Amino acid sequence: MKKFYLMLMLVVGMVVLAACSSGDEEASEDSGSEGSSSVDTITAWAWDPAFNIAALEKAKEAYDGDGEYEVEVIENAQDDIIQKLNTGLSSGTTKGMPNIVLIEDYRAQSFLQAYPDSFYPLTDVINSEDFAEYKIATTSYDGEQYGVPFDTGVAGLYVRTDYLEEAGYTVEDVTNITWDEYIEIGKSVKEATGKNMLTMDPNDLAPIRMMIQTNGSWYVDEDGSTPNIAENETLVKAFETYKKMMEADITKVVSDWSQFVGAFNSGDVASVPTGNWITPSVKQAAEQSGQWAVVPMPRLDMDGAVNASNLGGSSWYVLNVDGKEEAADFMLNTFGSNPDLYQTLVKDIGAIGTYSAAAEGDAFAAEDEFFNGQTIIADFSKWTEEIPGVNYGLHTYAIEDILVTGMQDYLNGTELETVLENVQGQAEAQLK
Amino acid sequence: MSQQKTKRGEIDLPVRLKDSKRQKTGVYFRKKVGWLFIIVSIIAITIFNFYPMVQAFLLSFQSGMGANLEYVGFDNWRRLFGDPTFIAALTNTSIYLLIQVPLMIVLALFFSVLLNDPNLKFRGFFRIAIFLPCVTSLVAYSVIFKYLFGVDGIINLFLLNFGIISEAINFLADPVWAKVVIILAITWRWTGYNMIFYLAALQNVDKSIYEAARMDGANAIQQFFQITVPMLKPIILFTSITSTIGTLQIFDEVVNITNGGPGNATLSISQYIYNLSFEYTPDFGYASTVSYVIVILVIILSIIQFRVAGEKK
Repeated sequence: MKKFYLMLMLVVGMVVLAACSSGDEEASEDSGSEGSSSVDTITAWAWDPAFNIAALEKAKEAYDGDGEYEVEVIENAQDDIIQKLNTGLSSGTTKGMPNIVLIEDYRAQSFLQAYPDSFYPLTDVINSEDFAEYKIATTSYDGEQYGVPFDTGVAGLYVRTDYLEEAGYTVEDVTNITWDEYIEIGKSVKEATGKNMLTMDPNDLAPIRMMIQTNGSWYVDEDGSTPNIAENETLVKAFETYKKMMEADITKVVSDWSQFVGAFNSGDVASVPTGNWITPSVKQAAEQSGQWAVVPMPRLDMDGAVNASNLGGSSWYVLNVDGKEEAADFMLNTFGSNPDLYQTLVKDIGAIGTYSAAAEGDAFAAEDEFFNGQTIIADFSKWTEEIPGVNYGLHTYAIEDILVTGMQDYLNGTELETVLENVQGQAEAQLK
Repeated sequence: MSQQKTKRGEIDLPVRLKDSKRQKTGVYFRKKVGWLFIIVSIIAITIFNFYPMVQAFLLSFQSGMGANLEYVGFDNWRRLFGDPTFIAALTNTSIYLLIQVPLMIVLALFFSVLLNDPNLKFRGFFRIAIFLPCVTSLVAYSVIFKYLFGVDGIINLFLLNFGIISEAINFLADPVWAKVVIILAITWRWTGYNMIFYLAALQNVDKSIYEAARMDGANAIQQFFQITVPMLKPIILFTSITSTIGTLQIFDEVVNITNGGPGNATLSISQYIYNLSFEYTPDFGYASTVSYVIVILVIILSIIQFRVAGEKK
């Protein structure tokens, strides 16, 4: 009987709780629409304690505005943030939502368009001209600027100078090259050292993404939603290059992040073409100090392609909930206009922002011992300015899941034209 | 009313009748209270089970990005049958189901009969050893399997050292091997769980039946097929239905071991639902359509299993 009462109480409790929470929801929605209430605490969600969370903490220290509020920084995995935002925003409740949230650039448009009015426009708060141009397309929607551009995601080619030397190459030989030249060098390196040139994860098309962006192209048209696959010459070229790389026998196949990091930390591969956020992982292998250099990303061998690309990268967004004014004030005062903060970020955590005025500071010109005294931060910032701006649109990951299967078919011998037409058809059917 | 009754009872009704009256009132009261208890659970079940189910069903006729949903009729269902990713997910899940569930049921039966032998030494230890996998965390064991079968993993090391293979197999990057690894993983995790049901059922089988069978000259194999299996039939039905439902909903293992790859070769329906809701631009409407496919499959398969196993009734 005791159990029964316990059960009863539990059930009644749950019903009462459910009833209460829906009541609160209405209340908060009401006050949200008025938009005049002020709060004492604003919360910020981000992932990666060594990078984004650390950046937020530095921003808190750097804040010198008039606002009187606390900033609470909460660490979540990126997947969790996406889940919580999606469930929260789609259910229409603002309870438990953060004031500031970090969103990856590839996903930004899908959030901005799927939940209109859920984000607070910052057009009048920050000056979008102060930031790298390619970030503006991804962080704005319908003429309004919503995001404060942050992490650049600028990509570079990390190379092992000692392996290159063994094969008879210098750092200059791999600077500003095309992917085709890169493959040739890779073959020589493998011959001379027995090491593979790079790792490849058959499940991850990041190399394709970086390749097509060197030529200012993407999986979707400029409208951000029409799939641009079958007729996309840049994508064709990228696929061909990918296959050439696989067939040249210069790649070590990996299936997850730890194998990927393990491969270059243990000296199994001679280069890592990826985003600048990999720098701390490369430096983990302290005994390899002085054996690395970073050069511009190889470009696709076609007219108009440049030696600069992007991978990942994220920006800050303010949610349209109580405390939005405070959150916007915090953003303006820190990431939006404070060059000194960016100096600290570079110096202390190696985070390169996209705030243009910051690039002139000393921290950006610092030499890095690990990279043989190369001023890698300055180099990365320089390449940031050359990245072709593309509208990533709404469907990067949805299309990529279809493309991954297409790539397997192509590698197994299906005609490329057929493969891409299939993918186009599938993407059109799915992404209405 | 009741006062009157008591009064009347007190005054002139015989004792037996008085008792029965009281009993009747008691039954009446108990019935009422019973309803009260049931009503609470009915409300709870309605709110937490039926309401979401109906909502999800309604949602399956809507489509749109995130919160901008609109009714689209049967569009989602039409889209489903022309969606190669869904078909891939359905195929993969069916393969898991068709290979893994029978394999696991047979293994569980086999182990349970072995471990039910009273002459076996260290019976408790073996039982625990086989049951232990199913108390481990789904994510933890998935990660362990991933490392076991990695290119530099212990399985490859073992095979290489014993000269069985000459070059390390990249299990997780191969469409067929990746599926094998996932089937092995779920079989490892759940066999012990089903075995416990069989063990419990075996305890209830009268030993004299086996004795009689032995007298008649039945050997162990005959005993197994002629006595054990028929006696366990209801339990086999139960475990195959629960395992079918479990495998149709497989998520953790696939996400943690291969993340659906290589190229959707191991993608499960549940992971596809997750992807539609959280990985891509969210389309909760289409995601619930796909969810309802699992519901329909579970219903159909359960009916078939009931028919097959319950034919004699």
